[in-house]
Amino acid sequence: MSAMEQLYTAVLEGDAKSSALLTAQALEAGADPMSLITGAMVPAMDEAGRRFEAEDYFVPELLLAARAMKASMVLIRPLLVASGAKSLGRVAVGTVKGDLHDIGKNLVASMLEGGGFDVIDLGADVPPEKFIEAVKDKGAQVVCLSALLTVTMPAMKTTIEALKAAGVRDNIKILVGGAPVTAQYATEIGADGFGENANSAVALTRRMLVEQVADAQLLSEGK
Amino acid sequence: MATLTTPTLSRQAVLDALSHRQPSRLPVDFGATAVTGIHVNCVAALRDYYGLDKHPVKVHEPYQMLGLVEDDLKQAMGIDTEGLYRRNTMFGFPNENWKPWNFNGLEVLVAGEFNTTIDANGDTLIYPEGDLTAKPSGRLPKGGFFFDSIVRQDHFDESKLNPEDNLEEFAELTDDEVAVIAQDARAARASGRAVVAGLGGTAFGDIALVPAPGRKDPRGIRDVAEWYMSTSSRRDYIHAIFSAQCEIALKNLQRIRVAAGGDLDVLFLCGTDFGTQTSTFCSVGTFRNLWLPYYKEICGWIHRNTEWKCFKHSCGAVERFIEPMIEAGFDILNPVQCSASGMEPEHLKAKYGDRITFWGGGVDTQKTLPFGTPAEVREQVLRRCEVFATNGGFVFNSIHNVQAGTPVANIVAMLDAVREFNGR
Repeated sequence: MSAMEQLYTAVLEGDAKSSALLTAQALEAGADPMSLITGAMVPAMDEAGRRFEAEDYFVPELLLAARAMKASMVLIRPLLVASGAKSLGRVAVGTVKGDLHDIGKNLVASMLEGGGFDVIDLGADVPPEKFIEAVKDKGAQVVCLSALLTVTMPAMKTTIEALKAAGVRDNIKILVGGAPVTAQYATEIGADGFGENANSAVALTRRMLVEQVADAQLLSEGK
Repeated sequence: MATLTTPTLSRQAVLDALSHRQPSRLPVDFGATAVTGIHVNCVAALRDYYGLDKHPVKVHEPYQMLGLVEDDLKQAMGIDTEGLYRRNTMFGFPNENWKPWNFNGLEVLVAGEFNTTIDANGDTLIYPEGDLTAKPSGRLPKGGFFFDSIVRQDHFDESKLNPEDNLEEFAELTDDEVAVIAQDARAARASGRAVVAGLGGTAFGDIALVPAPGRKDPRGIRDVAEWYMSTSSRRDYIHAIFSAQCEIALKNLQRIRVAAGGDLDVLFLCGTDFGTQTSTFCSVGTFRNLWLPYYKEICGWIHRNTEWKCFKHSCGAVERFIEPMIEAGFDILNPVQCSASGMEPEHLKAKYGDRITFWGGGVDTQKTLPFGTPAEVREQVLRRCEVFATNGGFVFNSIHNVQAGTPVANIVAMLDAVREFNGR
């Protein structure tokens, strides 16, 4: 098995210790950091996502894969920053104000990171101004809002309204998700999309960024 | 005030339903367990609506801020169950020495050791065993409606993990504790309603309990994500915990049977959630490997030695787990989350309705009850009753606790619809 295949397997099987070790060895042997991501880690997380969709993997296995990938990313990220490599896009992720649940949000953040995005994890119980700050000051292009509770869902609406009031709503795409959230609710509160699970959140984010580029082009062409 | 029930008939209605016989009327539970309760602000609103004696409501379950449904409100709401709760709350202090507390502007009563502080964000922090010198174990966000656990997970050395550390909260009952259970059970039995006891110790890996919010310095695996991962990557460790926990639980059940056996009808055993909105937290294979053996031991012992019925709670899309749950010996499934994938009422009733009692499923608490109109609530309740109530096997309850801020008109519409159904 090649080093790349071993890394792929370590991430997919959620073996963080091996994942970190293999990454360190590969980097020491002169591997291109970005190639480890695109050649092993992204395919491994894609496969983990596929298995999750097929119900061969469940939340524990997805968490393990995400942790293994993170263990490698700790070694790779500084090298990417130093080389000025660009990510697929910048995404701010947070559980809305009043809601402390973060497992779903963490999974989405990890899967996005595994998918090659630059993730700003704002944590849980995040007030609207933090999301605004992530867009204005940190350049988030997509904002992912999570809520687990029926009683905190309205904070998603409040957050979107705050983003509108701050004049940044039209510059970004907003994705919502969480147990009580539905596609209908996403539409009602003016979100751009609803992620049914962590895997679909990544696919949607990809699509939204493409749409965002297209929107920006239309805007610049004055259409 | 409308008196909807005759308590002496209440227990029989529940027992008939649980035996899959058509009861004289559809029995109703609200407040007997920590997953079939009502948020304290709704209990207060209901007391106002029914014109009951004005006094602050007791928060008997401080984690979810559930209000105590007292006898007068039970009568007004038509409730057929009587809850028997464990002495200590989730935060490890007893429900006694009540004191006033202002909860988002509502005057309520909390236990004497419900001790809190406010942090820099305005969040309320609560302390295990009420000890303000310990690290806080729960957080209520500013303006929020209930607490969540604060994970206190120290770094651990994988090679030194010891299942005993995760067993700290499971202990054999003391003589005093058994005596209190017996006394409370006698009082509950005297109510004439079906006695539903949730005495703790039999929940295997309930994620709400993993952080041990009632303990000052929990050891072992206490982080929620770490626990979930452990069910896949440290299965021997989890088996060791469950096995030892099961042994302790069986000893306790034996003592409870001797002291109070005849006064209990239903035992709330386990609140571990296996379902998400659209899927499950593990495969059926994992459920069979990791949970089923212990559930079988507990339920098997109960059925061999008592008349109690075994109550299992699991949110979410658990249709594929119902068969193994029946195999394990569970008699009751709650909350029957019909809004989750594969949990359509007609399908559940047709496939499992004569083998397990659906305790819940009466109305959706994610959408219809909190956000619908009273007419929509009535419509859904009547439809659910028509599907679930035939030949018993159904105890009416909403899908999980009535959430904070649910309009009282909707709760009343729900109860009136049950009464309408019963009057047909």
